[in-house]
Amino acid sequence: MDNDYFSIDAILAENQKIQCTFKQKIPEMGHLGGGSERDILPQSKRQIPIWLAYIIVYSDWADFDIPQPFSNKVRNALRAEPRSVRLSNLVGAGTGWYVFGKTIMDMLGDEQGIEMSEMLVTTFKGRLVDVIDQAQHFAALGPVGGSGGGGGVDSAPQMFREGLDTTERELFVLAQESARRMKRWYEESSGGAKRML
Amino acid sequence: MSLPYSLRTSITPPELELIATQQLIEIIPLIAIEKTAFISGAFGPLQPPRKAKIPLWMAINLKLRKKCHIVAPEWLSVEFLQSRLDEEINEPGFSKLPFRYAEISKVLLDVASDDIQNTDKIRSLLKDLREARQAKSREGLDQINRGELSVSNLCSMEINEIRPFFVHAMGILTHLHREASTEDQL
Amino acid sequence: MASASASAHTSTRARLPSAAPDIYIPEDEESLVSQLTKHWLNERHAPDILPAQEELLASLLDYIRRQSDAVQLLRGQPSASEEEHIRIMLVQMEVERVKFIVRSYVRTRLYKIEKFARFIMGDATIQTRLTTAERTHAQKHAELTDAHFYNSVLQSLPETQSHLDDTPIFMPPMITKPDESRPVFVHALRDCPPIRFHEDLTLEMKRGHISLMPYSFIEQLLLRGDVELI
Repeated sequence: MDNDYFSIDAILAENQKIQCTFKQKIPEMGHLGGGSERDILPQSKRQIPIWLAYIIVYSDWADFDIPQPFSNKVRNALRAEPRSVRLSNLVGAGTGWYVFGKTIMDMLGDEQGIEMSEMLVTTFKGRLVDVIDQAQHFAALGPVGGSGGGGGVDSAPQMFREGLDTTERELFVLAQESARRMKRWYEESSGGAKRML
Repeated sequence: MSLPYSLRTSITPPELELIATQQLIEIIPLIAIEKTAFISGAFGPLQPPRKAKIPLWMAINLKLRKKCHIVAPEWLSVEFLQSRLDEEINEPGFSKLPFRYAEISKVLLDVASDDIQNTDKIRSLLKDLREARQAKSREGLDQINRGELSVSNLCSMEINEIRPFFVHAMGILTHLHREASTEDQL
Repeated sequence: MASASASAHTSTRARLPSAAPDIYIPEDEESLVSQLTKHWLNERHAPDILPAQEELLASLLDYIRRQSDAVQLLRGQPSASEEEHIRIMLVQMEVERVKFIVRSYVRTRLYKIEKFARFIMGDATIQTRLTTAERTHAQKHAELTDAHFYNSVLQSLPETQSHLDDTPIFMPPMITKPDESRPVFVHALRDCPPIRFHEDLTLEMKRGHISLMPYSFIEQLLLRGDVELI
């Protein structure tokens, strides 16, 4: 989620498509979003990638729908139990639910934007402790403990892990690496500072 | 790259050990060494059996050559650690321990266990303390938000362990926050 | 060297073991090595580039040279006793420890300088925090990457699209600059003036307080030496 021009993740996130409803006729642009007509007509709906949607929406040529991954159905499920939703299934591979959500949030007006922000924050916080717990649990199993640990294949922890979004996965890896570094240090015998040199 | 990737998010435990071993510790020398100028100051003279204070890294080195006994710091005792463990369990905040207790206790237990009383009990107390404190930082994770998180008395190695994901998590919460635009506030 | 030795010696004596351990070593009698250690840690944790410590580094390099010379000289003497041997070994070892910190400190700065090279070239404030050698390095690095981008891609694009310093709409600016919102763990070395985060959150750190918060809130306190990063 870093704000760097050269961030590959940010570039990939902008490939995510949103549904735009055009407000006016755009001549000679019918091919956008895979259409076969010559022009884009008012009221026609197209799936437009984010990078292109910015300019279309801000120029007031089209409105956009809040995408499916942030629909009321999803929001209700998250309100009931944030940990039971498989965020990774809501968005395409390689895109993050939070990154996508943040992008949409920035495009919305105040009221909807703040609502979106609260939903993202509540979800993130509701899942954070479990993400870290699981990462530390896995680190404790040692380097080969990658599969099966933390219950069987269909266990709740396993399901939760598979449903982690890319942002959560980053945190998982950070926590796991850190716990492993600590474990290694505790297990190695100190030759004193000599070891540093 | 000028700085390897693994060193950009945190300090490594061996680096923290290097820093911790700059601290002074009391020894009983078994070798006579005249006063010597080091970059970090003058140390010595060492005159058996007169106690002297030298940096921990020097003490470890002499100890490994059987040229000194190390006087364990008073906090590295069953009595002290037990009282902190009780406090850790019964009080809400982190109990007050030496900032680099994890590094120093590990090094001393590895190198100078014969100079320390009740090492088995001390090891298990340290482990219990570590676990009790980890449980508390987990609660801290629950309270994290975009502003500020106070963790007074959390120690060097403990901070370092939670740093990568606490920093990242707080960063994400900052990104996900949306302020009402100023126009609306007017 | 004599004065440094004397002060180190008195500080050694002044601190007696006590039941309540003093968690933080007093800052006023800091040796050059502990000063460097503090700057090294600050630099490692800060997202921005901190003011260069040219004088400190120069004196330490001077010490390293002198100690190394002394070791060389003593090593040359054939009839060294075991005590003398150990003494030389310890001096040598300290030199290596200090060199490790110096190298890591310099590399940490180099990493940031390369990452923000283009930003540095256009920002007079950050330039004041760099040494002359570091500024030169930033400039050369920026020129090298610019030339590389130009030769490999940009020269084939229309003029309007071949810039490296655009601030395109809806996108982050092309020039990467330090992320001051990145949180850091901060330790108050003395009582600090209150920090205001937003309307309902103000914090007044007392000496010894440890907190995680965005770098931007403690930048000034850090530059003033009221806090350190841990």
